[in-house]
Amino acid sequence: MKRNEIMQKISGGMQQVKSWVMRRQRLLLVFFSAAVLLFPLISQNNYLKGMLVKVMLFSVLTTALNVINGYSGMFCLGIAGMMCIGSYTEAILATRFGISFWLLLPLAGLTTAVFGLVISIPAIRLKGIYFSIITMGFSEIVRLLAQNWTGLTGGAMGIKNIPHPSIFGMKLSQVNHYYYIVFAILALCIFTIRRIMNSKVGRAWLSIREDEAAARSLGVNLLRYKALNFFVAAFWAGVAGAFMAPYYQFIAADMYTTNESFNVLSMLIIGGQGTMVGPVVGSLVSNGLSELMRPFGDWRLVVYSVIIIATMWLRPQGIAGSSSGALTGRKKKRRQKENLRKAQRLEVEV
Amino acid sequence: MYILEQILNGVCQGSIYALMAIGYAFIYGIVGLVTFSYGEVAMVGAFAAYYAFILFGNNLLIGCIAGIAGGVVAGMLIYKFCYERFLLAPKHIAIICTVAISQLFKSLAQIYFGTEVKPMASLFGGKYIQLGDLRVTYVQILVLVMVIIMASGLSLFTKKTQVGMQLRAVAQDKKAAALVGIHVNRMALLGNCIGCALGGTAGLLLAVYYGNVYATMGQAVGFKAFSAVVLGGLSNVGAAAVGGMLIGLLENIGIMFFSANYRDTIAFVFMVVVLIFMPQGIGTKKGYRQ
Repeated sequence: MKRNEIMQKISGGMQQVKSWVMRRQRLLLVFFSAAVLLFPLISQNNYLKGMLVKVMLFSVLTTALNVINGYSGMFCLGIAGMMCIGSYTEAILATRFGISFWLLLPLAGLTTAVFGLVISIPAIRLKGIYFSIITMGFSEIVRLLAQNWTGLTGGAMGIKNIPHPSIFGMKLSQVNHYYYIVFAILALCIFTIRRIMNSKVGRAWLSIREDEAAARSLGVNLLRYKALNFFVAAFWAGVAGAFMAPYYQFIAADMYTTNESFNVLSMLIIGGQGTMVGPVVGSLVSNGLSELMRPFGDWRLVVYSVIIIATMWLRPQGIAGSSSGALTGRKKKRRQKENLRKAQRLEVEV
Repeated sequence: MYILEQILNGVCQGSIYALMAIGYAFIYGIVGLVTFSYGEVAMVGAFAAYYAFILFGNNLLIGCIAGIAGGVVAGMLIYKFCYERFLLAPKHIAIICTVAISQLFKSLAQIYFGTEVKPMASLFGGKYIQLGDLRVTYVQILVLVMVIIMASGLSLFTKKTQVGMQLRAVAQDKKAAALVGIHVNRMALLGNCIGCALGGTAGLLLAVYYGNVYATMGQAVGFKAFSAVVLGGLSNVGAAAVGGMLIGLLENIGIMFFSANYRDTIAFVFMVVVLIFMPQGIGTKKGYRQ
């Protein structure tokens, strides 16, 4: 009895916080963006800045994965392969032909997107876990090719000394520069995906997620929209991969194993699928936790895995999951979420 | 005679993959959830056997028991942490949990057993039988015999005993099984443990066959077993065994034509090809896949 009361109080408090956040979403967005933008000016702590770069990089990746997993309801396990293609496109073209980073960023994205389109042709015809398996298979094939095609990719040695980007003859090699570049990428990524989600295409994806048969009967071309979904996600994953190459200065195939896919996926699920803010929250929590665990040494991964399992036990919808879009704050989304939950319950019972 | 040797190697490795694939398909059939921690189950089995050999001398029987026990304990943990609460939840939750627990096992093994590659006791001291030009080592015979015993034992168990019948009922329809008074939850736990026992045995065989154990040995074989299972539409045990055997053979024949570096690629290419051309797997009724 007492426990129930406490739980009610907690959930009431959560509701209050939620409604507060929803009412002031624009203000909060501006505040957080300003804080993130101004941070490098006031802080000299390169370690913290590097960590924030990592958080934002993984936010882009997680947002890309969210397009597939969260919005169209397919369960992709192959994000690392897309990253791998983006990174290698950037690294190879930059080291061999000296093409500018700014040109390569969209180019790597497009290459990855075209690749995503090609693998989506067999993949999107499959349903459920088979889709996941085939994306994982493609991702591993890409990685193993990158590892063994020594003539093109440098094989197990990887590619070293990837040139830093430069603008008007100024070399951008400081953490601060990368900080602003990745912030711009993240902002652009979230902006475009939000615009897409508010358009006909986004509604088509959501309708596919809710009920494929109903979407089809209303005239949504399933294959075309799923392929487009893959295209968009692969584009942003490729851009994130292309950013990684000059930032780390070195890439090798073992940075893109299936573990990396699982890593991004766990960020997405911890943050909350199908929300705009979920991927960012997930990336922040995951990367932040794994940095905080550093004093544990060898036990770091143990604690980290226990935390993932605990999150799944306590809050399977993710941290931002049930707030039905705290930053988007539209009632429609909440209704959709409820419908989704109902649909899942039905699916289980049938 | 190089090709015959490669085929023999392929059959031996393939039969280990087949044993794992059988366990995997058994788990998927009964629990209904995909696991990514199966390779780590094999690793736990291998380490259990390794320490049993150290403690009790090179006794094969005790090694087997230790391997099976290791697999069963790992399976129980996986079931308690990843499946029990999420049998009715969206499937991605259980998948993430199995990924996390596989990471957990791997890191714990690295902490307690060390990160180095440990040499496994050689049971037969490299003895072999000469068949014409072909050398068949005792280890290879052991692997084949063990796999055949385990697979046929599992088949007999599910077909002839009452518990096996209950397991098959749960695999077919959980609700109907519950209606006729079968404890579905307990059966799912049992099925998972049996599958993991096969995984633990496969780990022991892998360790004996390659002569070493290490903490990250599970991952590659886990993925290979997974690729093999796809052939049977994830839940068909027989087709999974065929798939495992095929992958073993293709790998060993494939490296005669390509560079040995591409060895691990073959399993994934096999999986993708199977999924493109017969996504529901062989031996499964159309429309059966979930």
